[in-house]
Amino acid sequence: MEALLTNYYEACSMILFGVGFAVLLLHSNLIKKIIGMNIMDTAIFLFFIAKGYIEKREAPIIVDVYKGVDAYINPVPSSLMLTGIVVAVSTTAFALALTVKLHEEYGTIELDEIMKMKGD
Amino acid sequence: MRKLAAIILTVGLILILLLGVQELPSFGKPDNPDNNEVSRYYIENATKDTGATNIVTGIILDYRAFDTFVESSVLFTASIIVILILKKNGNKTE
Amino acid sequence: MKSVILKEISKVIIPFIQIFGVYVIFHGHLSPGGGFAGGTIIGASFILYRIVFGMEYAQKKFKYEILMPILCFSIMLYGILKGYSFITGGSHLNFPQPPLGTSGDILSGGFLLPLNILVGTIVAIVIYFLYSLFDKGEI
Repeated sequence: MEALLTNYYEACSMILFGVGFAVLLLHSNLIKKIIGMNIMDTAIFLFFIAKGYIEKREAPIIVDVYKGVDAYINPVPSSLMLTGIVVAVSTTAFALALTVKLHEEYGTIELDEIMKMKGD
Repeated sequence: MRKLAAIILTVGLILILLLGVQELPSFGKPDNPDNNEVSRYYIENATKDTGATNIVTGIILDYRAFDTFVESSVLFTASIIVILILKKNGNKTE
Repeated sequence: MKSVILKEISKVIIPFIQIFGVYVIFHGHLSPGGGFAGGTIIGASFILYRIVFGMEYAQKKFKYEILMPILCFSIMLYGILKGYSFITGGSHLNFPQPPLGTSGDILSGGFLLPLNILVGTIVAIVIYFLYSLFDKGEI
């Protein structure tokens, strides 16, 4: 149990992932499902960016003088997650456009009523 | 009934993931397995090769600029798709 | 959304937002920020103009026939510049490249400044398109 208390960043990111997954399953409104997907994305970004931290070192920007290789944190996970954030924005935009077209076709956003109208 | 099954499934998923977190190395130690020679090379030679003092910009626009190109094309494709779905001018011309 | 206080204050504050966005883009290789953050700030200023002034004024200033070719040419130019640097730098052919310069200046670092500007343009235009399509259905 002590490992969970020292790695509290990773433990909280897993709990956030579970919360987002529960939102995706419990509500039947389509916009709330899209919000749950965004919460899951944010949990994964927190997990990856927290892997790059080293104690008592500073951000990887050379301010006035170069301080040697042992004074900066790991710059690779931050730069890889910039692409992931942009992909999350694109997925949310596409899902919201499909929701607008569904509302024009069926007149409601609740998933249970749409399944009843389709006749399944 | 459906909500009870959903809550039990989520709690089970969180417990399995937390079992995995317990095996991770300690947070923030300098001899973790992912602070190997790749990050050492990037920090030492970023100013000599690219001329940028912001190391993260030097990585995403010089060493790995191809990833940024593909991600810009993902943004472009998303905007084209939303235009195709939602644009209203001349949609019903028949 | 057509009150007088909003119009007068946004006429004063929208140029300052755009200058801040251009500053974040141009100093992308010297301080935190870069193409994506600066592009989002400029796109937010376009959205503010469209919210306050309405659809007719925004359609006169940001036409679809001008913004769409800019978007397509930006991404093609990014591909051409990156392909040129990829092919010539990797095979030791020593074709002409932009100079490295001294670190700490703005005009330094070879291909970093043009690529930052192109990425900022792409992000700003895409964010403005996404808002205006969800608002009224046309750009």
